[in-house]
Amino acid sequence: MLGDEGSRVLLMGNEAVARGAIEAGVEVVAGYPGTPSSEVVESLIPVVREAGIRVEWSVNEKVAFDVCSGASLAGARSLVTMKMSGLNVASDSIVSMAYGGVNGGLVVYVADDPGAHAGMVEQDSRLFARAALLPMIDAWDPGSSRDAVLEAFEVSEEFGIPVEVSEEFGIPVFVRSTSSVAHMRGGVELGPVRERKRAAGLTRDIRRLTRASPAWCKEQHARLNERMAKITARFEASRLNGLEIPGGARWGVISTGVSRSYLVEAVERYGVEGLATLSIGTTNPLPEGLIRALVDRVEGVLVLEELEPHVEQSVRALRGDVGRSIRVLGKMDGTLPRVGEYTPDIVEVALGALIGRDLARRDDLEGPRVEARAMAPRRPLPFCPGCSHRGTYVALGQALRETGHGEEGAIVVGDIGCTILGMHPPFDSCWMEVSMGASIGLASGIKYAGEERPVIAAIGDSTFFHAGVPPTINASWNGADILIAVLDNEITAMTGHQPSPSSGYNAAGEASREIRIEGLLQASGVERVSVVDPYDISASRAAFVEALKAGGIAAVVLRRACSLVARRIGLQKGALRVSPEDCTGCLLCVRTLGCPAMGVSGEGRAVIDEAACAGCGMCAQVCPVGAISGGG
Amino acid sequence: MCPGLPGRGHLWRWLGLIGEHNILVSSVGGQGGVTLTRVLSTAAFSQGMNVVVGETLGMAQRGGSVTSHVRVGPGVRGPMIPRGGCDVLLSLEPAEALRVAHYLGRRTRAVVNTAPSPPAFALLREARYPEAEEVIGVLKRITGVVYPIDATGLASEAGSTRSMNMVVLGAYVALEDPVLSPSSLEEAMAASLPPRFLAMNKRAFDLGYEAMIGLKHGG
Repeated sequence: MLGDEGSRVLLMGNEAVARGAIEAGVEVVAGYPGTPSSEVVESLIPVVREAGIRVEWSVNEKVAFDVCSGASLAGARSLVTMKMSGLNVASDSIVSMAYGGVNGGLVVYVADDPGAHAGMVEQDSRLFARAALLPMIDAWDPGSSRDAVLEAFEVSEEFGIPVEVSEEFGIPVFVRSTSSVAHMRGGVELGPVRERKRAAGLTRDIRRLTRASPAWCKEQHARLNERMAKITARFEASRLNGLEIPGGARWGVISTGVSRSYLVEAVERYGVEGLATLSIGTTNPLPEGLIRALVDRVEGVLVLEELEPHVEQSVRALRGDVGRSIRVLGKMDGTLPRVGEYTPDIVEVALGALIGRDLARRDDLEGPRVEARAMAPRRPLPFCPGCSHRGTYVALGQALRETGHGEEGAIVVGDIGCTILGMHPPFDSCWMEVSMGASIGLASGIKYAGEERPVIAAIGDSTFFHAGVPPTINASWNGADILIAVLDNEITAMTGHQPSPSSGYNAAGEASREIRIEGLLQASGVERVSVVDPYDISASRAAFVEALKAGGIAAVVLRRACSLVARRIGLQKGALRVSPEDCTGCLLCVRTLGCPAMGVSGEGRAVIDEAACAGCGMCAQVCPVGAISGGG
Repeated sequence: MCPGLPGRGHLWRWLGLIGEHNILVSSVGGQGGVTLTRVLSTAAFSQGMNVVVGETLGMAQRGGSVTSHVRVGPGVRGPMIPRGGCDVLLSLEPAEALRVAHYLGRRTRAVVNTAPSPPAFALLREARYPEAEEVIGVLKRITGVVYPIDATGLASEAGSTRSMNMVVLGAYVALEDPVLSPSSLEEAMAASLPPRFLAMNKRAFDLGYEAMIGLKHGG
């Protein structure tokens, strides 16, 4: 990460974003973990001291953006990172900061997920950049990820417009990536680390930095529009865009993001000649001059971009200016899909459609390929061996049956993170998930609609800190009779074990205050709060039963460190063992827990894989004949 | 580690039309597929070759499917192997080889660990889990050649099942004309693996290498 200028290293897209920030002289970096964006902050953590950077995991993306905005207003170059869902969380502040502007360069890194690899929506954040009236640069490989960050810091500081009462200042700039680019590795030649020079610091300027006066607000809006016009001109000449029109070209292809690479390969692979190409890195505002230059010279244009037809709409609009008929191939005519990520094959077939050649890969192997894929078993994510959430969902199921609410007799609203895996068998617990922290508001609304069954919101610690506190206050204030289960494994587990406020340490690994969830619940007015260890299934069940019987708003905090973290820091307990003499082969343990460390022997008895067992002891608690022992 | 292997003279013969050698690593989260990918890409990069790696990590880091594309050669740009374009499949689990069948073709040489790692739900719902023989059977109808190898068993012999990924790496090196040289792979292993487990992993590598030599000679 701190390698010398000129050395060539193998970097992941996200690592290259981090390197770009270092080369740009970044001083403050904040983010909230979210696949596929997390590695930017993670790769900076080991070098914070040496590089003199302040890096933090914030409680959510809006806070992270506000922290970086503050640093930027105080003159420091800042970088904030998030996945697309986090952009929605931070959006309120981002749109407002566009009006007020920044001092030190402020870059917002957002990673979209075409293909939904991380199990959230396929949002196209380019459309958000349009809504926020802010510039966005798209990366297509690790090298361009670094370059995009450098360019974004320059653009962020460059286009200040001096006005009567204000000094010159800049605006936030987006760098966007996608899963395939953010997680791609490739060679990057390291550039020089820029000497830090502070932008002008903070001076009191309410005409610029407040929005409460409509007149000032409209003035800021007009200034933002002027600034974007200047950036449009700069982007026309950006080296992140590339226009090539060979003599006699009949066809043109416009590509963005990862499609740029697939196009280069396809052209080479099939020896396609005389193709005009425009690769676009600056996706907002689009370089319409370059697009027009391409459209002017060809008979047909193919537009390659994942998700929404953002560039394509612009191409179709500009086509009218040319004054002759030009074919446009993209999503709007059905040539290309709007769902999922692009593959080399999708790009090849579309290129073939443009140039009138059949470039579909065909052989006589499709039959066996389809057969092979149909044979592949589904592999839904299980809870890990020793996962404390397993105890929570087993105890909750038992408590619901004990209180007469088994078999869909209660509604469990899940939330984002590992905790949602309670939707799978054998727990079959969670009914839905929407967004970070949504479970508590959803549960309240379900109750308001007259639902008589108990409604339980199941939420993890990091998700609770992120967006679970306001809906808890809301439920308590407005009298929603719900049960809130906070599954506190003291870490942000799903995204790779980044610390949460309940971890007791921060991003840099330094000891920090440990924020207690039960204290927040009580302060929010939830009077009935119990704290249990989910490894103790009967105690957890009793806590749930008590809360369900009492009615009203109640909360159970189920606290036990993530087993993968315990393993990593050497706190793992010894493995358990099934006594083959005592095991009756009822397999209640296997069926109740769905533990990946448990299997069934040839004789039909339960067996435990010692290497995988985390020693949680839940199987011993479940076994009706006491055939499982050990651990501790 | 493995004497008598061909040098880089044969290298580009395998790189096909646009100069690419595509290795696909398929595994279950936690099996070491990500580490194997790191060793392969580090070795290729240290040999001065153009390398692009694509990884679909998503939520699949623990117990889910993990697929990595290691692409080597002057013409390689994108992070994904085209349909049927895989040159070498290294599958750390039999059923995971099935999942990536669309990348396989006649040009593919497949090294498949025969030890299954069934998902927990297969035990719960009695879902059918394909036997290793069935997997090999259907793969043989797609790929040029399939080398089934009990990598997990050999890793146990080496000291721990956790070195299974290095057994498969050793088997890869014993394929004819591997693009990556044994010495660069050995250096990449030293750079990517914890020092205290290096000796065990080298034993695992050697066992995989010898097993593959045995398979190629009809053992």
